[in-house]
Amino acid sequence: MEQKERQRYISFKIIRENKIEITKNSLLKSIWQSIWRYFGLKEANKIGLWLIELNLNEEYGIIRCTHQTKETIISALSLVKQIDGIKVILSPFKTSGTIISIRKKINQGKKI
Amino acid sequence: MSYFESRLPIDFDKITEMLKKLEFCEKLGIKNVILEPKNDLDVIPLEIKMKIKKNANLNIFFRINLRIVNLEDFKKRIKRYNNFSDILSIESLNKEVQLQAAKDSRVDVISFSNPQIIKTLTPGVISLTKQNNSFLEFSLDSIMITNKINQSKNFRNLYRFIQLALKYKANCIISGNSDDLYDLRHPRALMSICNSLLGISLDKAKKIFMVNPILLLERTERHNNNIIEPELRLIKDEE
Repeated sequence: MEQKERQRYISFKIIRENKIEITKNSLLKSIWQSIWRYFGLKEANKIGLWLIELNLNEEYGIIRCTHQTKETIISALSLVKQIDGIKVILSPFKTSGTIISIRKKINQGKKI
Repeated sequence: MSYFESRLPIDFDKITEMLKKLEFCEKLGIKNVILEPKNDLDVIPLEIKMKIKKNANLNIFFRINLRIVNLEDFKKRIKRYNNFSDILSIESLNKEVQLQAAKDSRVDVISFSNPQIIKTLTPGVISLTKQNNSFLEFSLDSIMITNKINQSKNFRNLYRFIQLALKYKANCIISGNSDDLYDLRHPRALMSICNSLLGISLDKAKKIFMVNPILLLERTERHNNNIIEPELRLIKDEE
């Protein structure tokens, strides 16, 4: 029997020029563009990307992916340079296996 | 110690810009940075070092990078670094200079950060750096450009020559080396890029980003045990 796919939650800081608004759609679009550009279809179909949370006030976001593609997603996030022409940095700072622990870590303000 | 950003070019003449860059590093969660002056300084003045260390909450170290054209130039300029307390790196397109620098114990790092220079890396230089316990440096700055054609060429060259260095078990460090604020990335993120796009295993990448910079700093400390500051050396330790 096939094992159930495990998941990873990755939280990332959003550092942007001039604090301009970013929508969930544009963020996801740029992450997918980065995945396609650097990893192609072969990796893209394994990822199972899901944007869990986007908090622009506290400048962080949480995404979910499969545990095998964690490094791919971290690379893809790091290689995003612009969203809608605005210079941004999506800097991953914590990875966890459960959403509860990642929220706890965000609240505690722990960093890698 | 945690991850290292082993090369951050900074203009020491523009203090506010420099502090802004360091603040940005803190925001990204970078804890250890090795700063390199952009403005062709031979030695970083002590006052500037103290000022930077006072104003930033990071572990800050310093390096000097010499861009050298030919062997004569190398011999002439290296004389000034007999008693040097920071990291000294050499960057040159000339293979003779690279070989000579790899043999020289005053040189800590042979830098192959430039996309043109990386193509000149040979097994000979790798072997000499291993004998001398010095380090080879690669930089990920070249992959942060937007032009797809140039970016893929740079990826290919980085892949090829990093794999060559790893094959010969060279002592490597990999730096971000980004000039633009928005090209800066946390070394953990760079480690992921190395793993997923440059074929470096996570163990090796960890060694490159965490262990080797510490070894490099230890090497400079060992070299300069008796040096209090540039041009000031403890000759006899009286207890």
